[in-house]
Amino acid sequence: MNPVLVLVALGGLVAVSTALGLVWKHTQGRIRRTDGLTVVRITDLPGVTRLARGATLLQFSTEVCAPCRAARVVLGDVASTRTDIDHVDLDLTHRPDLASRYNILQTPTTFILDRKGVVRARIGGAPRRDALTLELERILAA
Amino acid sequence: MTTSQGLDPRGPRFSAGITAVLLLVVIGLGLSRANLAAGILFAVLAALFAWGAFAGVQRHPYGALYRRFVRPRLAPPTELEDPVPPTFAQGVGFVITLVGLVLHVAGVPYALVIAASAAFVAAFLNSVFAFCLGCQIYLLLVRAGVLGRATA
Repeated sequence: MNPVLVLVALGGLVAVSTALGLVWKHTQGRIRRTDGLTVVRITDLPGVTRLARGATLLQFSTEVCAPCRAARVVLGDVASTRTDIDHVDLDLTHRPDLASRYNILQTPTTFILDRKGVVRARIGGAPRRDALTLELERILAA
Repeated sequence: MTTSQGLDPRGPRFSAGITAVLLLVVIGLGLSRANLAAGILFAVLAALFAWGAFAGVQRHPYGALYRRFVRPRLAPPTELEDPVPPTFAQGVGFVITLVGLVLHVAGVPYALVIAASAAFVAAFLNSVFAFCLGCQIYLLLVRAGVLGRATA
């Protein structure tokens, strides 16, 4: 391959990677409303005997996930502002069955559960505080 | 899961930047049919990935470079990171480069360019966009039963 073509190929690789990165970045933290048909079993949640009266922020993490820590801070903060919102952090390293049951493809993934455990929305990647607060208000008002 | 020895999260991104540039050089050499040079540099990169994966990212030479020359010029980190996620990413990098290298030595055409391109995409996204490889791939490996320890 001649040097010009090589440089073009390298430039193309950088351009494709940049496009991939922009798309990935755009999907991170986005709130996707669900069809309301998935219900989380309370027995799947370690240390939880009853769900919060308002909403439960169910975070799925693993040990090798850097943004899970940031997600933990944001979700913990949001949950601490109201007594009717709880934050539950679930490590999937030891529970591949739950990753399959709830179809988790990346960590952190966060479910917003209503008081009956119905998954009302899911967030892939570290949640954005403002968008999360808005969505919670919508769910709690319903 | 939080270790006492936190890591400046900009360190691994700095390292990934160097790795991405070197991988571009490998791809360029590979496409120019400079197979021996490409193979040697790729082997060096595989060894560096192994260093990060098995000795830990804190002991990686790029980490030392970062602490010596870059960190003194930056503001202190606002938060520290667990070294486990970048160490896992180094392991993934090692596997990809090792497979590419073995196929290259076995004479498979373009094996080196393809493996180096895959590693480049991951390193570039990590460096520029703070993409977390462990977040995307680890869970797939756990679900496939390759990693993780089921207790249930």
